[in-house]
Amino acid sequence: MRLPRFFGKKRGHRRTGSQAWGSAGEAIFYALLVAAALCFAGLLLTGVVGLDPEAVGLPWAGWWLWIFTALIPGALLAFGGAGLVRTLRGWDKSEERRAAAETLAELLEPVGHGSGSPRELPGVPTCDDLVNSPGTILRYRLPIESPESWQLLGIGLFAALWNAVLAVLAVTAGLDLLGGRVEPVLLALLVPFLAVGIGGIVVFVRRLFLTTAVGTTQVEISDHPLLPGANYDVLLAQGGAGAVALLRLTLEMEESAAFRQGTDTRTERVVVWREVVKEWRDVRISPGVRFEAHATITIPRDAMHSFVSEHNAVRWRIVVHGRPERRAPFERMFPLVVHPLPPDIGGGRPEFAWMEERRR
Amino acid sequence: MTDGEDGGGTTRLGAPRVGVHFDHPDRTYAPQDSLTAAYEVEGVAVADIRAIERSVVWYTEGKGEEDLGVHHFDRLEGAAALRAALPAGSVSLRLPPSPLSYEGVVVKIRWCVRIRLFFAAGRDYVSEHVFDLGDVPPSRGTVERLA
Repeated sequence: MRLPRFFGKKRGHRRTGSQAWGSAGEAIFYALLVAAALCFAGLLLTGVVGLDPEAVGLPWAGWWLWIFTALIPGALLAFGGAGLVRTLRGWDKSEERRAAAETLAELLEPVGHGSGSPRELPGVPTCDDLVNSPGTILRYRLPIESPESWQLLGIGLFAALWNAVLAVLAVTAGLDLLGGRVEPVLLALLVPFLAVGIGGIVVFVRRLFLTTAVGTTQVEISDHPLLPGANYDVLLAQGGAGAVALLRLTLEMEESAAFRQGTDTRTERVVVWREVVKEWRDVRISPGVRFEAHATITIPRDAMHSFVSEHNAVRWRIVVHGRPERRAPFERMFPLVVHPLPPDIGGGRPEFAWMEERRR
Repeated sequence: MTDGEDGGGTTRLGAPRVGVHFDHPDRTYAPQDSLTAAYEVEGVAVADIRAIERSVVWYTEGKGEEDLGVHHFDRLEGAAALRAALPAGSVSLRLPPSPLSYEGVVVKIRWCVRIRLFFAAGRDYVSEHVFDLGDVPPSRGTVERLA
């Protein structure tokens, strides 16, 4: 019997090296974590490591100190134990065998899959969340996916957290001053902290104003999910007030790939297909009366369908780009799901005559 | 330890050779077509093999981490099962409607038949044979790289 090699050759894109040694290394790592957790827990329980609340200056802590301390061995045990079980379950199994077991588990999940479920269309995302809102004129109103909203949420969270820390520091400094003590380091720290805190609030309020001042954008569509080669009516409705120099409706396909770089997980997103469906210039929107316009989108006949896996995706969407005359431009996205064409499509539907012709 | 060969058919000296013949010579299938792949294993004694795994899978390639989906999988072990499956055998199945093969910029989806041999000595050897599901043309390139 030959021992597995430590190093293997790189063969194209395939993983190299010894799978057996890799699994053994993982198992040893997780086993060490479990051992460390058990040792730590043993020392705590036997009293070798004493936890005296009086000694650490927290007389009020009592049992809370014990629970807090138990978190460390508990986390080590949970992480190490789960990793050890996962490694041992995958021992000496090929990646296909492991993936087949996962696929079987997905199939055995309780029923309730919507259209495009893993059972019906593997790799195609479901569109249940995109067809649960009826439109006012067309069949469905598409949910909005606005990057501006996420930026606003991020800035808001940052401002709230920063100012919470600032408030704690300010209260501590205030209590010190009331007690007749002056902490120059703390007071010196408060000045830049205060500047950043006020800056955060200003940026958040400005963003909030810009985001809400433009007015809501709604997109409705005549059918969903979409099929390659078919046409769909789209209704664009833009609320708000004032003049918009340009409103542009585009159809896009994006690829995204998540990968690890060191300890970070990064995602690369690339638009690989884009079509300007329609543009409107010098649009005047009156308060209470939204701008409405119809357009037709066509998914190309040879288009790739929507695809989502754990780390990779192909996504379709409608993008509305606006350039108000007195405000910053905005961009709002409306996700779509494109299904692959079923082989039996046609049935006299004129938009799929080309498919029947190709089949003949 | 896994050794292997890709669909191109590069083979190392001393390694088994696995040939796969598809019933569509152009190796292109429509969604939900039936597929039959006949394989032949050479260069290894059947007695040296303790198991064989035959699978039809899709996987992603490109910049992202690899994702794998198994459409068909069987593992044969034991003398009687191996005698029936080696040195030649076939895999027949109906393909699913998706995901279609795709050659994108940062995402690529490939379908393949994999024959994995497990040797009595403990090592294994995989042979991969790519085919196309659907006829989606390759992506034309990057329009815009998003932050």
